[in-house]
Amino acid sequence: MNKEINNSACKFCPGCGYPIVLMTLEKVLSDLGVKEKSVLGLDIGCSLLAWNFLPINTFQTHHGRVTPTIMGFKRAKKDSTVIGLTGDGGAYAIGLQSLLWAARRDEPVTILVVNNTVYAMTGGQTAPTTLKGQKTDTTPQGVEAEPLDGIKLLREVASEKAFLARTAVNDIGNLKSYIEKAIETQKSGHFACVEILSMCPTNWKTKGVDTINKLNSLKEVFKLGIF
Amino acid sequence: MNKKQFLTGSEVVVRGAIDAGTSMMYGYPITPGTEVFTGWVGSGKKYLQTEDEIAAGFAMCGAVIAGQKTFTATAGPGHVLMQDGLSMAEGMRLPFVAVVAQRGGPSSGTVIYSQQEVTLAVYGGNGEGMRLVYSASNLEELYLLTRLAFNNAWKYRFPTIVLTDGYLLKTKGVVDFSKFEKLENVKPYPLVKEGEIKHWRNIFTFEEELFEEIEKTKVDFDKMSVEVAESEEYETEDAEILIIAHGIVGAAAKLAVQKLRIENKKVGLWRPITLRPLDNEGLNKNLNKVKKVLIVESSLGQLSKLVKDGIKDCANVSFEYLQKPAVGIEAEEIMDKILKIK
Amino acid sequence: MLKILLAGDGGQGIQLISKILSDSVFENGFNITQIPNYGLEQRGGVSLSFIKISEDEIVYPKFSQADMVLVLSDQARERTKNYIGDKTEKIDILDFKDLLKENNILLTSFNIFFLGLILKKLKENKIDILENASNLLEKKLSTKPNWEENKKAFEVGLK
Repeated sequence: MNKEINNSACKFCPGCGYPIVLMTLEKVLSDLGVKEKSVLGLDIGCSLLAWNFLPINTFQTHHGRVTPTIMGFKRAKKDSTVIGLTGDGGAYAIGLQSLLWAARRDEPVTILVVNNTVYAMTGGQTAPTTLKGQKTDTTPQGVEAEPLDGIKLLREVASEKAFLARTAVNDIGNLKSYIEKAIETQKSGHFACVEILSMCPTNWKTKGVDTINKLNSLKEVFKLGIF
Repeated sequence: MNKKQFLTGSEVVVRGAIDAGTSMMYGYPITPGTEVFTGWVGSGKKYLQTEDEIAAGFAMCGAVIAGQKTFTATAGPGHVLMQDGLSMAEGMRLPFVAVVAQRGGPSSGTVIYSQQEVTLAVYGGNGEGMRLVYSASNLEELYLLTRLAFNNAWKYRFPTIVLTDGYLLKTKGVVDFSKFEKLENVKPYPLVKEGEIKHWRNIFTFEEELFEEIEKTKVDFDKMSVEVAESEEYETEDAEILIIAHGIVGAAAKLAVQKLRIENKKVGLWRPITLRPLDNEGLNKNLNKVKKVLIVESSLGQLSKLVKDGIKDCANVSFEYLQKPAVGIEAEEIMDKILKIK
Repeated sequence: MLKILLAGDGGQGIQLISKILSDSVFENGFNITQIPNYGLEQRGGVSLSFIKISEDEIVYPKFSQADMVLVLSDQARERTKNYIGDKTEKIDILDFKDLLKENNILLTSFNIFFLGLILKKLKENKIDILENASNLLEKKLSTKPNWEENKKAFEVGLK
């Protein structure tokens, strides 16, 4: 088996934030020396494209179901490091029930939520984090509700030892350190969730620097930091 | 270990899971399966009550991927939700074991009993129903099938369901465990191993990729079928009328056959023990002996459809049906129906 | 083969006497099956227990006609009428109202009285489980309130 990152398996769109998240994750797991015992669970959304990307055990689950699946794995194999990779839809819509309950039970799992504010794989429909007023195929009149702050919601139910944070794919210093902290929190037996603001030029229909500008503007709405 | 015990069906299932070396149960309270869950909890073994059956199903998937023998018990609307996890188990060949206590349906139906979850158990996901589904007709069989479910799920890697119902789980009866002393357990093993790198998908980019995957699975399924499909023939040697029934209705049918034979009526019973894969060989062999068949079930034809699907050639057989969805069927009713058949 | 149906309102203690009866039958080495009715029905409704006793294997636990039916309430009477045939022995509380009154049996001990009565009838049917049943009864109820009343009711029933 190839122990390197499989670049030919990179099916992500050009300009997507997922590869940045994945490569940072791989670096963190290597640095912490837990790569061999790690498993990466994927949602069915754009995260599914990572199935054969990293040199670690990876399996797809179902949309919204990565949290309970890796919880089951972790409970069965306590010395493993389990990471669930999901988008904003998988985490905060269909998977919200299980995400909240994993936090509530303080399950020692690490969930990375890649938030690009849309259901990207299916073409850009409205997601829990879509901005107010934004028009999508399923909200042609513009979204009426304020976007969901998933991390704030989790903070209401999580233990104080849980690690909850938000960063961005271009927040290079914190991206790596938050993911590291999230893994360490799992090792110490607690729940961790890091939301990572990300880019989707395909569905945002942006080019070049506009993509970065849009990403940076999201930081006004979704505050970065540890919560 | 006492040989003969007076136990309820729920207690028998728990005992079966424990004896199978199961170490974990994921569950959610739902009548009439709740006592299996609370019984397991009471035994001191590891468990988790999840937020819903969807989470229970997926937690089980994660657990078996890590190599842990685990199971759940559900019913009715919970069984419906469990299909999401079952579907993934079907697609990824996971040793997923569920005890399903049928209740009246659809929707919330009744909490007691039916045989209306057969189609759901066999074909519930969005696939081809490549699953192992057992149907228990009495307490000792419920124990045995629970043990077999774990063994065969881990041996063949198809999601496995033991179908029962509220009557059987609530029935208290005498079980002689000395009959099962020789049963051995298949050991679980991790499907994703440390030190290896497995890249495992359940979604495919190209149709042909999935087609090939399904073809491979079908080959394995057919191989398993030969080894695992099971049925019971009772008094069929010289039978003129064949009754086909499963689960607890199969037990009522057996009693009916016993009573009819005392009156010299030539009736026999073919009782499927696996609903999927159906023992088509046993079915057709017994069909060939008779001219008339009565299919009895507490549903509007879910068993009949499976049976009809397994028949090779029924040009010479006429079918009658006793179908009472959601309601128990007594031996006397079956006898009355048989006596009315010309 | 003996088929017994016990019926009363939820709260009249049908499941308790059903348990003492069935556990004792099992301890005496007979084959037995017992099925109660359901939670949803029991709430404010009828409590039932179907018991089959046999020396041989019991193939199927339910039955359409009982050999013996115990009826402790109006609802129970209504609910069990379909299980009564020509040969069914009916033990209806209405027929025992006077006897219960004469012996000052407490309302809460009625079920225990009928337990004693049924045990006597079982003995007449060659099923003698008296010793085991008495022990089990004592084990279950002697530390609970009204034990003396229950004990009395039991003894009256046995006569």
